[in-house]
Amino acid sequence: MTSGDLFLQQLINGLNLGAMYSLLALGFTLVYGIMELINFSHFNVFMVGAFIALGVLKLMGMDGQTVILSGLPLIGVILVTFVVTMFATGMIGVGIERVLLRPLRAVTGPAAMILTIGVSYILFNIILIGVGGDTRNFANPLPSITWAFGGANLRLRDVLIWFIAIVLMLGLTYFVQYTKLGKGMRATAQDPEAARMMGVEVDSVVGLSFFIGSALAGASGLIFGLYYNYAKVDMGFSAGLRAFTAAVLGGIGNVPGAMLGGVLIGLIESSSSQLIGQAWADVIIFSILVIVLVFRPAGLLGRQAPNKS
Amino acid sequence: MANAVITMLNRPFESWSQAKRQGWATVLLAVVFAVYPFLTDDDSNIDTIANAMSYATLALGLNIVVGFAGLLDLGYAAFFAIGAYYYGIFTAYQVMPHWSSGWEPLAFLGLVEKVNQGSGDLVHFTLSFWLALPTGALVAGFFGLMFGAPTLRLRGDYLAIVTLGFGEIVPIVARNADSITNGAAGLNGVAGPKIGSYHFGVDATPYYYVGMGLVAILIFSSIRLRDSRIGRAWMAIREDETAASAMGINLRNFKLLAFAIGASFSGFTGVFFVSKLQVATPEMFNFSVSSMLIVMVVLGGMGSVWGVVVGAALLQLLQTWILPRSTDLVRYIGESVGSDWLMSADLVQWTQMFFGLIIVVMMLFRRDGLIPATRAQPKLELEEQHADVKRGGFVNVDRIPRWNPQPGNALEIKDVTVRFGGLVALNKVNLTVPAGGVVAVIGPNGSGKSTLFNAITGLVTAEGSIKFEGHELIGLRPDEVLAKGVARTFQNIRLFPKLTVLENVLIGEHCRLKTGPAGAVLRPPSVRAEEKGALRTALDIIGLFGNRLTPRANHTVSGLSYANRRRVEISRALASRPHILLLDEPTAGMNPNETLELAEQIGELNDMGLTILIIEHKLDVVTRLANRVTVLDHGDVIAEGTANEVQRNEEVLTAYLGRAHRAKIEAQDAAEAVAAGGNANG
Repeated sequence: MTSGDLFLQQLINGLNLGAMYSLLALGFTLVYGIMELINFSHFNVFMVGAFIALGVLKLMGMDGQTVILSGLPLIGVILVTFVVTMFATGMIGVGIERVLLRPLRAVTGPAAMILTIGVSYILFNIILIGVGGDTRNFANPLPSITWAFGGANLRLRDVLIWFIAIVLMLGLTYFVQYTKLGKGMRATAQDPEAARMMGVEVDSVVGLSFFIGSALAGASGLIFGLYYNYAKVDMGFSAGLRAFTAAVLGGIGNVPGAMLGGVLIGLIESSSSQLIGQAWADVIIFSILVIVLVFRPAGLLGRQAPNKS
Repeated sequence: MANAVITMLNRPFESWSQAKRQGWATVLLAVVFAVYPFLTDDDSNIDTIANAMSYATLALGLNIVVGFAGLLDLGYAAFFAIGAYYYGIFTAYQVMPHWSSGWEPLAFLGLVEKVNQGSGDLVHFTLSFWLALPTGALVAGFFGLMFGAPTLRLRGDYLAIVTLGFGEIVPIVARNADSITNGAAGLNGVAGPKIGSYHFGVDATPYYYVGMGLVAILIFSSIRLRDSRIGRAWMAIREDETAASAMGINLRNFKLLAFAIGASFSGFTGVFFVSKLQVATPEMFNFSVSSMLIVMVVLGGMGSVWGVVVGAALLQLLQTWILPRSTDLVRYIGESVGSDWLMSADLVQWTQMFFGLIIVVMMLFRRDGLIPATRAQPKLELEEQHADVKRGGFVNVDRIPRWNPQPGNALEIKDVTVRFGGLVALNKVNLTVPAGGVVAVIGPNGSGKSTLFNAITGLVTAEGSIKFEGHELIGLRPDEVLAKGVARTFQNIRLFPKLTVLENVLIGEHCRLKTGPAGAVLRPPSVRAEEKGALRTALDIIGLFGNRLTPRANHTVSGLSYANRRRVEISRALASRPHILLLDEPTAGMNPNETLELAEQIGELNDMGLTILIIEHKLDVVTRLANRVTVLDHGDVIAEGTANEVQRNEEVLTAYLGRAHRAKIEAQDAAEAVAAGGNANG
């Protein structure tokens, strides 16, 4: 492969990772934008999402790379898996908010954030005890269609991941910008108290942002499985930290910012593992996080979160 | 009344006897732990307790960062790793440069030895454990400063994520820097400690005693730090950074100090831990260690020294005793009911699940932990609760030294402009406060009064010049402004809610005290004298308000009435012994009687020579106190003069007092004119 081909291939890989991180970052940004809370449980909602998707695929008879579908059955299986996974993780998010976080909403200080660390632990151990700690093969029913661009390969899988990510992000943008509930969400992000007085049902807005954020984490978990062909109980930590970095890079609370940040982090990861080595990718990404926070805490597109002081 | 003050002054001695009781309990505990190894035959128990001790020391270090200073550090295990690898690298057979005569001096000191491994002479580092303990603490403390520095400007929640990142980077570096750390396989053959020719070896008992010593040192240091100027500054930062800064605490230095001391506790433990295990691998220091420490601190109580020790002990007990025994029990039950599922249960696998559950349950139902850091509030006698509206100013005012204002202007504000984006909050404001005088600033809401105070005290950036006693204040940090003698109160009261009245006022004295971290721990006579003096000053200041505050000195301020919180805030500002006091609507929310009481007291402070700049809405207070009044509207000074002059100023009447009041004043003037005319005629 020439260096041009290599660049193209890393671009393709980077965009796949970027799609995954963007969707995950949206969950951080939505919740932070509304409640000013770093939701550590999001790390493992993502992981649980991958395992739910794995289970759904298994129920439909998909296991490993043995069953390959095409045409309508393929579309049907992919669609069902995404819908079921996203709904399930969305409900997990709503449950966490409703049962555990709502009682703490009036409490100042780090209590809510510490609580989400505990929830993250619990989710982790539910999977660890229930499914086990070893690497699970992730079913992939996609036919191996490949288009060659010079030495770089674009696979059907890549196109599918991009397509799904774009659809979800467009849907979210439409929802936040043009629907009544979306307007309520933006109002709550600016000032929950004022929004409440203007008749926005803040409780449902918060619940909804948890649902959407967690559903997107589920989609992201499924994309992880499709991309790497495995799921593992500790997959959430590193992906979650990268996605959080993406949210901060784009400007926390800022929906387009999270998308941009996710894509950038994906590209940075793929190119840095090419140029410097996979082992140092995390170090580079965390260094970016620190540099952004210190020199440009509002991120690239500007912070949009309430400023409680 | 005088009785209450005397009781208060005696109270420190009461708590001394309480301290004595606690001292005896501690000695008893130490004796129990000291003789325990002689009472048990089971070496594994001793080993377990020695491990629990190293976790307790880590939790104590984390408690300084998280519990005292309120900096949520999720990557604390990084410093543990740094201490561990520091000792490991300098004792294991991993890093071995070629021998040259340059190493001779170090060999003479016993730090290195010459070894021959066939290919020539090599250097083997032989750092002594006893030397590694303090130096490991220093090395980790240095890294604490390095990691802390870029995070200083971050708010609490970002700090958590950045420290999480650091906590992840350190094991990655350990894994990747093969040549120094032997990568993922880890350092083997780390030397155990020795005393003279006695090697600790694999027997747990000597480690047990070293661990006990470390726990004792760290508990002692933690308590000493907590009850000192240093600890109070940390808690002030935890409670309210802005107020802490305005009360003279250098945020940067004290946050870094917390990071460094917390990290050095961890480095200390790292050396101990790795010498006991004699291996160091990257996995020993990952996120699960950091989060287990968080669980210990949360369980015991953030900021509570004994709490985190108990938390560490309970978690160790859970892992090594409760879960294995419960597993046996569950299996036994399974056997008797014939359930295969119960018979194959293994609760030890559930350890981390319990960590998660502990965090969730504690955060939902007992956020202050099992042993909360805040003490029980002493009950008040009926007589102490009773507070008549006092007239005639302060009580025992002779205990407070008077001020000697030098003639001339104390504060000179020239052309001060403050912009927030496009909004001009202050527009070329000029104002002078003569030394020993009282100047009031009035104006409608949003006219820039509080912004003016924020500009003076360094909370917002301003253009122009603000000179106080000849020093330029613009460009100084809030704590530097306070050190120049400018103290303030806030419009919406910014006390440190979880601290007591006394602690709040003692924090006001911060800038006048000198105790450093070493002095706080060792408590030499000079520090004792300083603390005793500080306490007396604080009680004298609280005593000014009679039995409003004195009986409540040991109550947390969050439980006080609104008016009492105002009084505490004024006391706190006075404790810094300012040359000028900036009061931002001191009587807001008070009833007429309380307002009158406070107005008289402010007047008395001025009689004692204190210069005062006051923002106030209540005109009777302004008229009573102020020599000069400045009126602000939309960031501009629209009038300046005596209270009576500005009340009759056209612009003021329209802008501030409204048309109705203007009509009233005009009617008054007309009536006076008629009366005057009548007199002239008659």
